[in-house]
Amino acid sequence: MKERTPQETIEDIWPRVKRKHLYPEIPTPKLGEVTGGEEPGTEDAVGLEIKAKQMTLNADFLVGLKGKMEEERAIEALLDHGVAHYTFCPWDFYTYVNLYAEAKKVMGDKDLGKQVANHFIDVVSNTYCVKMRATDIPELYRHLKRGAIEETMAALYQKIWGKDLGSSASGKSVKGNEEVVRRLTRIPYLNRSRWAESIRRFARSIKPLLLQEQENQKSGAGKGGSTPLGDHDLNGYSLEEIDQGLRDYARKSMMLPEFREVVEDFTEELKEAGYGMEGGMGRGRGMLLDADVLFYMKLAESYVLPVKKSILEKKGTLHPHSHSPWEVGSPYHDVDVWTSFGKIMPGITQIWKKKEGKGKGKIEGAPDCLIAVDSSGSMINPRKSLSYAVLGAACAADAYLRNDSKVAVYNFSDAPMGGKDVLDYSSQREEIYRVLCKYFGGGTALDVEDLIPLVHGKKDLDLFIITDMKITNLEALIGYLGQLKNRVTAVHIGENPYVSRFEKAVERKSNISLFAVKRKEDIPHIVLGRIREYFHQGPGR
Amino acid sequence: MKEQSSKNSSIGMELQGREKMKASLQLKKKKTAASDGPCVIRSNPFQEFDTYVYARKDLPLDRIVQSTEVVMDQIRQGYEKLLEEEAKELVWMVQYNTIIKAYEVAERYVKEIDYAAEDIEDFCFAFENTQKIPYLIPGPAGLYISALCNYAKEEEIVLKLSELKTEINLLGFRLSKGRRLVIEGDAGDFTGIGLEGGELVVEGNAKNWTGAGMRSGKITVKKNIGLHTGEWMMGGEIYVGGRVRGLGNIVEGKVFEQDKLVYPGKARYPNLYY
Repeated sequence: MKERTPQETIEDIWPRVKRKHLYPEIPTPKLGEVTGGEEPGTEDAVGLEIKAKQMTLNADFLVGLKGKMEEERAIEALLDHGVAHYTFCPWDFYTYVNLYAEAKKVMGDKDLGKQVANHFIDVVSNTYCVKMRATDIPELYRHLKRGAIEETMAALYQKIWGKDLGSSASGKSVKGNEEVVRRLTRIPYLNRSRWAESIRRFARSIKPLLLQEQENQKSGAGKGGSTPLGDHDLNGYSLEEIDQGLRDYARKSMMLPEFREVVEDFTEELKEAGYGMEGGMGRGRGMLLDADVLFYMKLAESYVLPVKKSILEKKGTLHPHSHSPWEVGSPYHDVDVWTSFGKIMPGITQIWKKKEGKGKGKIEGAPDCLIAVDSSGSMINPRKSLSYAVLGAACAADAYLRNDSKVAVYNFSDAPMGGKDVLDYSSQREEIYRVLCKYFGGGTALDVEDLIPLVHGKKDLDLFIITDMKITNLEALIGYLGQLKNRVTAVHIGENPYVSRFEKAVERKSNISLFAVKRKEDIPHIVLGRIREYFHQGPGR
Repeated sequence: MKEQSSKNSSIGMELQGREKMKASLQLKKKKTAASDGPCVIRSNPFQEFDTYVYARKDLPLDRIVQSTEVVMDQIRQGYEKLLEEEAKELVWMVQYNTIIKAYEVAERYVKEIDYAAEDIEDFCFAFENTQKIPYLIPGPAGLYISALCNYAKEEEIVLKLSELKTEINLLGFRLSKGRRLVIEGDAGDFTGIGLEGGELVVEGNAKNWTGAGMRSGKITVKKNIGLHTGEWMMGGEIYVGGRVRGLGNIVEGKVFEQDKLVYPGKARYPNLYY
């Protein structure tokens, strides 16, 4: 009888594994060469690799296990391990980044932080499998080649799973590490809500071992930092997942320094994944990754501001022309239900890109927007800590760009003295954010002359100004805005007499809306391009 | 009895209801199959999960974590009771009487708990990392941890305090002979006071009044030490790896700075050493 190839075995058992794990949406795993690990091509090579949800089992790894464990069982154990990363830990990119950030706080080193995160994620997903599913992972770990860390991990597994993995306390590597193992056994690995705390405890306990391993590595005696079944990195995630993860991390941490640190630590991987600053959503190759700009970009994506549509004069009506992927926060009305399989899900859902036809007519849409942002000394430096002014402006830019409008930026401090930066109407997201994040830190004066060329000749245009209103020539600004017919959204940060002066001056102008931002929670209340409605207008007015 | 029987009957009715529902569903299924013709097969997509066996196992980890949580709760409750009794106003003055009294209270709670060295470590970790412990008041916290160390089964205890943002005072209070306490990180004021023959090692710095009133034993501070070091110490040795900022009024005992004997030695004025 012809012997089955490993690929055939994978295909045979994959339906069973999928069923066992309640049908995760993962493509059929394949057999191949896996880079990474200590010595590729030998049994020291790592077991599997996950790239954009595609699991690849290492053929060399399986060869190394021959004679020790039945091939089918080894493959199933590897698949269980891989699927558990997808279904339980780390689950998504945000969780992975979060775990890494916590580990790095304890380890104080990028590489050691990544190693700790890898080991922790492995312990959690393996333990989850052993507890919840019928799996041969313990048997697999029995036959893996072990270094000092792996020996300790095996001792830990033996204790927490209650299975014999052939690790004895008198083993050469574990000897002296009983204390570490004892500490590791006390961690609630399966309690997701306590993972942040758990990984810190895990890191503290394992730190001496990893430092020792690092020393050995330097002297050429140690093994590399890879986990036996493969490391976790950004390759495992799609661009949409990375987008979502960064967005969540920016929103939940709200700390610019922390976000910057994480992005800088993953710069290489992010670039490799095609995540630069060129192209939409912060992706593409080319320029350097600017973590600060990325922070505001991702944070702005979390706050979706509504833009009131207005009647625009266009040459012709729009008609559906081509498809593009739908992103979280994009309008739903252009979703093509047929090609999206009736699902609203990033990566699956598609929207129609509309193209203007020939002819002339009036349609409803969002006009272009001119954003004026104050970056004087009285404002927070957006590159040092979270600036609500820049975040507000970034949210406004994001809202208009999502509606296929163009955005111009006027960043001013002491404009008559040259403290300004002007960006003409553009749909280049990263350029817009770069100008928004610029900080001058000088006096506050606005040069109306600078605004005139940007406003002149544009019938359909919205203005968005965000400032603390401590502008030395506030009267000139009030006078200029007073003569405009365009919709103006003015946002002030904090309260001061200048705000009251501005408020009083524009209270009768229905095209100017004023919003206050004191906390981050105020940002979603901004409505762009709102024309004030007077409910209490008397008869005849 | 009545309640039980009515409960049983309601359960019975519920089961009957379910059976009926199942039967009617099957009937409906048959009917639709019949009406739609033989080629239409409608199957429940979740049908195959009827035979799915959910193999959830109890692991030793569950037991370990559960018992650890129980002990941690007891330790935490003990600390909260100590705070209730000793620091009602959240201000705690370090005075001879208050220290003795608070330590006695701490001893009373600690004696009732069955814990291991790792529990003490977890308790210290919880100060900085969880919201479960309401207040870290360095004085009572130090006394409580000292009591935990003095009544632990293990003779050697390592406290990892390097991540704590607040230094804990009074660590190693009355550490008895045969016991060794290693503090990874910095210690606060009054470290190792009243030492009773134990060995206290501070991997980082220690603040003022270290070793005050110690009777015997050894204190090693790997980095620097503050003012009033060894005030009224009656015996024992203090080894400092870095600099001694100032010595106290020492009665008896030895103080070494970077392996050099600084007390007893040349006449020095207390607190004017540097």
